[in-house]
Amino acid sequence: MKMDELPSNMSMPAASPEIFQQLGTLTRQLHDTLNMLGVLPKLKDTVDDLPDARSRLNYIAQKTEAAAEKVLNLVDDAKADQEHIARETRKLAAMIVADPVKAVASGAVMNFVNDVETVTQRVDHHLTDIMMAQDFHDLTGQVVAKVVNLANDLESQLVKLLVQAAPLEQAQKVEAALTANHATEHTLDGPVVDHEGRTDVVANQGEVDDLLASLGF
Amino acid sequence: MSTPNADMKFLVVDDFSTMRRIVRGLLKEIGYSNVEEAEDGVVALNMLKNGRYDFVVSDINMPNMNGFDLLKAIKADDKLKAIPVLMVTAEARKEDIVLAAQTGAAGYIVKPFTKATLEEKVQKIMQKVTAAA
Repeated sequence: MKMDELPSNMSMPAASPEIFQQLGTLTRQLHDTLNMLGVLPKLKDTVDDLPDARSRLNYIAQKTEAAAEKVLNLVDDAKADQEHIARETRKLAAMIVADPVKAVASGAVMNFVNDVETVTQRVDHHLTDIMMAQDFHDLTGQVVAKVVNLANDLESQLVKLLVQAAPLEQAQKVEAALTANHATEHTLDGPVVDHEGRTDVVANQGEVDDLLASLGF
Repeated sequence: MSTPNADMKFLVVDDFSTMRRIVRGLLKEIGYSNVEEAEDGVVALNMLKNGRYDFVVSDINMPNMNGFDLLKAIKADDKLKAIPVLMVTAEARKEDIVLAAQTGAAGYIVKPFTKATLEEKVQKIMQKVTAAA
């Protein structure tokens, strides 16, 4: 029966010091048992990682947004270049139809050729930059894997907690599955989502080069 | 910058196909068109043992065999140890960079990187290889 299901005319007896003492003892026993089973410290560690998971998810949002914006801007630039060439082509075609000799003699043909070369080089750069912008897939993919690992850890710890109340046979099955899952963990960090306050990581390629140079490489 | 040797054969190792395509595309723009790909260290090592490669560009964080273990395996093999290995990775911990250098990596690039960085590192490594030969 829940507290709010008690009849309204039934009053709760005043809590005696003995009840508080019993509750305190039970709480202590529960705490000690969970600690002894190793559940609490691990669960605490996993929960402590949640802010890190939040910053990793923010990192994904920022990376994908930046990549999308970069690609759209580059496409806009490339389209403008394409339109320029199409317009100049129509103009030159009209000049050649009207007076082919004048079109060549006035330098319009050579200007057009130079224009095409410049614009195609620029469009090629845009295409390279669009290709490079796709690196967010690799970086965010690694970050997603980290967050999924954290979710798995959290799930494992919570399942362990529940297993304590399960029949012995079921508990043993779940323990075996959890042990098997942990065997596949790896320890590499993946992309650094927040460099602030960290001295154990490099922030850019220049710092990598400096570090290697300081070691004589 | 010196003219790239277009005959050089590269092996790009990364578990993300997008990154493999990006590195392959950049190498092509730099002047190296002979590029093959492997999705992890195990596949890469097998390809290296059964083919002729002049340069390896490898990620670190990969399933099955990571980049460090691949690097160790290459440097432990008399037939492969002369192949320069450039690590291109998101791992930015200083201890990882030092470990890579001590294990025998020819260079280390942190992601995200630029075409200019890749070009500079490849050229620098090839200059060292040529000078040592």
